[in-house]
Amino acid sequence: MKVTVDPERCQGHTLCAMIAPKVFELDEVDGHSSPVSEDVPADQEDKVRQAVQSCPEQAISITRATA
Amino acid sequence: MSTDGARDDDRKQPRYQFDRHTPQYRHEFQAITQEMHAQCPIAWSDTHGGHWVAAGNREVFELARSAEYLSNDHDVKNERRGYKGITIPAPDVDFQGGFLEMDPPEQRHYRQTLNPYLSPAAVARWTPVAAELVRACLNEKVETGQIDFVDDLANIVPAVLTLAMMGIPLKSWSIYCEPVHAGVYTPPDSPDMPRVRETQMAMYRDMFAQLAEIRASPRPGLIDALARAEINGKKPDDMELLGVMALLIGGGFDTTTALTAHALEWLSEHPAERDRLSRDRDTLLDPATEEFLRYYTPAPGDGRTIAQDCELAGTRFKEGERLWLSWAMANRDPAVFDNPNEIDLARTGNRHYSFGLGIHRCIGSNMARMVFKQMMTGVLDRMPGYRCDPAGAVHYETIGVIQGMQHLPATFTPGPRIGPGLDETIDAMQRACDEQRLAEPVTVRKGKAKIEL
Repeated sequence: MKVTVDPERCQGHTLCAMIAPKVFELDEVDGHSSPVSEDVPADQEDKVRQAVQSCPEQAISITRATA
Repeated sequence: MSTDGARDDDRKQPRYQFDRHTPQYRHEFQAITQEMHAQCPIAWSDTHGGHWVAAGNREVFELARSAEYLSNDHDVKNERRGYKGITIPAPDVDFQGGFLEMDPPEQRHYRQTLNPYLSPAAVARWTPVAAELVRACLNEKVETGQIDFVDDLANIVPAVLTLAMMGIPLKSWSIYCEPVHAGVYTPPDSPDMPRVRETQMAMYRDMFAQLAEIRASPRPGLIDALARAEINGKKPDDMELLGVMALLIGGGFDTTTALTAHALEWLSEHPAERDRLSRDRDTLLDPATEEFLRYYTPAPGDGRTIAQDCELAGTRFKEGERLWLSWAMANRDPAVFDNPNEIDLARTGNRHYSFGLGIHRCIGSNMARMVFKQMMTGVLDRMPGYRCDPAGAVHYETIGVIQGMQHLPATFTPGPRIGPGLDETIDAMQRACDEQRLAEPVTVRKGKAKIEL
């Protein structure tokens, strides 16, 4: 699974990092989110799906990695 | 004219008589919300000079994020297009409600100025201070077995902490606390209103004095940042800065109080859920906080002005028309939330709009969550079996501005004090602010506050 956060949409609600703190990091100055890495560890996939559903701005996208 | 009028009548559909300032709206909130979701997720209402109301979740989402078509501007001096800001009807005031009543680029410049004080990393530094203030507030009542969760806890902690972040002396909290809360819950025609206005004037005088003092002799905090700020290439005048300070204070006080009181009231009515929250707090407190935010939506909505003719969410809007975005009703939409009128502490996929949406997302959201969680855990630890007294609970008569509570008395099994009381703790927190320069932006100071009592 790959994950991206659209920086134009993200407004720093921080729910993604609350749900999946290993996957999303928040900017120190404005709290906007970005993925630690584009590739999501297998054990984090459920949490990332939850983060996608929880983002008020719908700023997070996931794609299935093509092998 | 008549053709235009007829065409307008045709466009302003469907119609719904919507008045969020009536007690009836509070009492029938769920039924009104369900009716609007089913029949008119966007409606025209003739109330308060006529305005649109968005109640549906998807409609609110699309509208709120269309910043290019909406304006937050409150043009108090009538220098631009005379727009009326975010309150419907607009209050009779002569200053803007800070950057929440501005559009970019000024709005963006203010947020860039203040974000380093209010980001998640910036707010985390204050957690030990919040914990001490909660401890001290509870100390004042813990031996008696009786507390008013509003007066004795939830009014105090957010107020003191907000002042600390601003750079205002903490012992001034009582100058600020009463006018902010009473200004929200007192109806304009109340016989108590002249007294409330008097306390508001005293607060504004103190705000001006703080601004002047910090300019002359800088100390860190949000006011210092404002005093130094260049907004769109110029220094803002004092009235504009007063509006920003009032926004930060108003946003920092009554909203978190409202959330905490409602959550404590609900948990008293659901003791098994309260025990579960306390036991499983490591995993449950985060989603429970979001659920209380969704369900109680302390700031129930925001007004906007349509900035150009447009068609959004299936409705044709005209420049100059007013629009109410109801976060509270969007948060109950069954299209997005299963069992929207029930509280599920472990709810997932909770994309509530209680901090707004888009570029105006509540700048204090991180602070609100942190302080709320500190107050909740403090009560769960030290008054675990508390029972609220429904006969003494006072909810705001209307929920047009803030869905809040005025009093929430409770009884509990008395317990021991831990450490110093409130006055002594506030003095100690003041020393920590001064000596450690806690109110510096996170770009200057990274570490958490260190507490010595």
